[in-house]
Amino acid sequence: MRQLAYVFDLNKCIGCHTCTMACKQLWTNRDGREYMYWNNVESRPGKGYPKNWEQKGGGFRNGVLLTDGKIPPKEDYGGVWEYNLQEVLLEGKGNQVVPHEKPTWGVNWDEDEGKGEFPNNHFFYLPRICNHCSNPACLAACPNKAIYKRPEDGLVVVDQERCRGYRYCVKACPYGKVYFNLQTGKSEKCIGCYPRVEKGTPPACVAQCVGKIRFVGYRDDKDGPIYKLVEQWKVALPLHGEYGTQPNVFYVPPMNVTPPPFEEDGRLSDKPRIPLADIEALFGPGTKQALETLGREMQKRREAKPSDLTELLIGYTNKDRYRL
Amino acid sequence: MNTSTLMKQLAAIGMVAATASLAATAAQAASAAKVIRVLSAAGADAASPDAAVWTKAPVAHVALQPTPSLHPSIVGTPVTQKLTAQAVRAGDQLYVRLAWSDRTANTAIKDLGQFVDGAAVQFPVNGKSSTTPFMGDANHAVNVWQWRADGRTQNLVAKGFGTATPVPSEGLKSAHARTGDGWAVVLSRPLKVKPDEGASLTGKGTMPVAFAAWDGANQERDGFKAVTLEWWQLRF
Repeated sequence: MRQLAYVFDLNKCIGCHTCTMACKQLWTNRDGREYMYWNNVESRPGKGYPKNWEQKGGGFRNGVLLTDGKIPPKEDYGGVWEYNLQEVLLEGKGNQVVPHEKPTWGVNWDEDEGKGEFPNNHFFYLPRICNHCSNPACLAACPNKAIYKRPEDGLVVVDQERCRGYRYCVKACPYGKVYFNLQTGKSEKCIGCYPRVEKGTPPACVAQCVGKIRFVGYRDDKDGPIYKLVEQWKVALPLHGEYGTQPNVFYVPPMNVTPPPFEEDGRLSDKPRIPLADIEALFGPGTKQALETLGREMQKRREAKPSDLTELLIGYTNKDRYRL
Repeated sequence: MNTSTLMKQLAAIGMVAATASLAATAAQAASAAKVIRVLSAAGADAASPDAAVWTKAPVAHVALQPTPSLHPSIVGTPVTQKLTAQAVRAGDQLYVRLAWSDRTANTAIKDLGQFVDGAAVQFPVNGKSSTTPFMGDANHAVNVWQWRADGRTQNLVAKGFGTATPVPSEGLKSAHARTGDGWAVVLSRPLKVKPDEGASLTGKGTMPVAFAAWDGANQERDGFKAVTLEWWQLRF
């Protein structure tokens, strides 16, 4: 089976949510999917979407499917509110644009809050889609064989004909990336834009990315960016690999390019602004080495020396970033 | 089916561990006669669970057990321990009435973690007790009439665990009512259906039948349910 995979370079993400909007417009703005964000961008540290998804359980331990997962309630995804734009802006009724319900939580609710107090605060953006795992917990959890990996690209999809809405997949996905559609009574998720991929066009979230942070291609393509960044340079790492699902979205972890934090006496600390342990908690034991490699290669450029890795990460053209 | 047959069937579908633990239960169950006498009442209206004819139809007290877990996802203990089953034949139509205790009526899925109550009647498509009551197998299909408390009724055919597939079901109907402490449900269908629409019930002296109940409040769905571990016999 060929496996399509992604690399997201977090050092290039500007948190503009164009990926999210591209996905929403294409797939989830209708028919019971309104609350779903197959692609979302969350601020880290933060609670994420659905709220506190890292505590929802699921995945595998020692290869055994865990059954402790939760089905997050609607409120953890947040409300689907609309604004009275039509009335206020076009019909001249009222003078304030307001949502039709009082929002208390939503996707991206804690944007840019991060952690720490000014001037020692920090955050970074974490865009998330289905990881199209090589060992998908959602697939393992479905007693009805409604979830499968497409042999041609390894994308994980829910067969809407076979799904009976049992939601074991929602429980089992430790990333909170399978969603139950209350209107159809079936579960749905990111489909990797397979109709586009089949035509050699990158997924919408990838193609629309303003920061050009997203690389897409096949794991076994040794001339492609995925193989080079994941296997060769080892600077792209899975998110929460310890969940045991073997994700196929890899992240270039955030470099500490902002100034270090201030000490109490006003001196600059020798510690990084984002504690290494916080980044390792997301991207695992390969983080330190990946950051060292990135730092070393970036230093080369500062000294006007060539660096294949930075060239690769800049990804000048679509051809450099997409190999489909 | 006798106890040893049940054990063989469980073993055959990989339930070796569960087999031992079920032995005692199955032995107990096998000792009692499992017959539901079908009341013939030509012209009777049995479609409603409150119809008068149900006061005349013999009542079978059916014990339910947890389904042996056939998938690692399915954990937990189902709540329902028993139901009553009755059957009426009126003309070319079979009516099955099930009643059981369930204090919370879960009739709609309004939030993502909610499930509805349900019940089901299962027949072997070939009409034989040798078909495993655990969703059949590749060569021996079962036909399931499933009622859900949101009013949906589904006609399913399964050829083994995890293969339940909806099939056409124009003639399958259900009606339900709340009783003092639970549900009463009538499932009905013409005796004869097209071959791909489930089990034919014509020309039978007896027909194996099995039952299941789901309590939505306990998040029961799919294989997480209370079932009869052996076939009962509908005696026409």
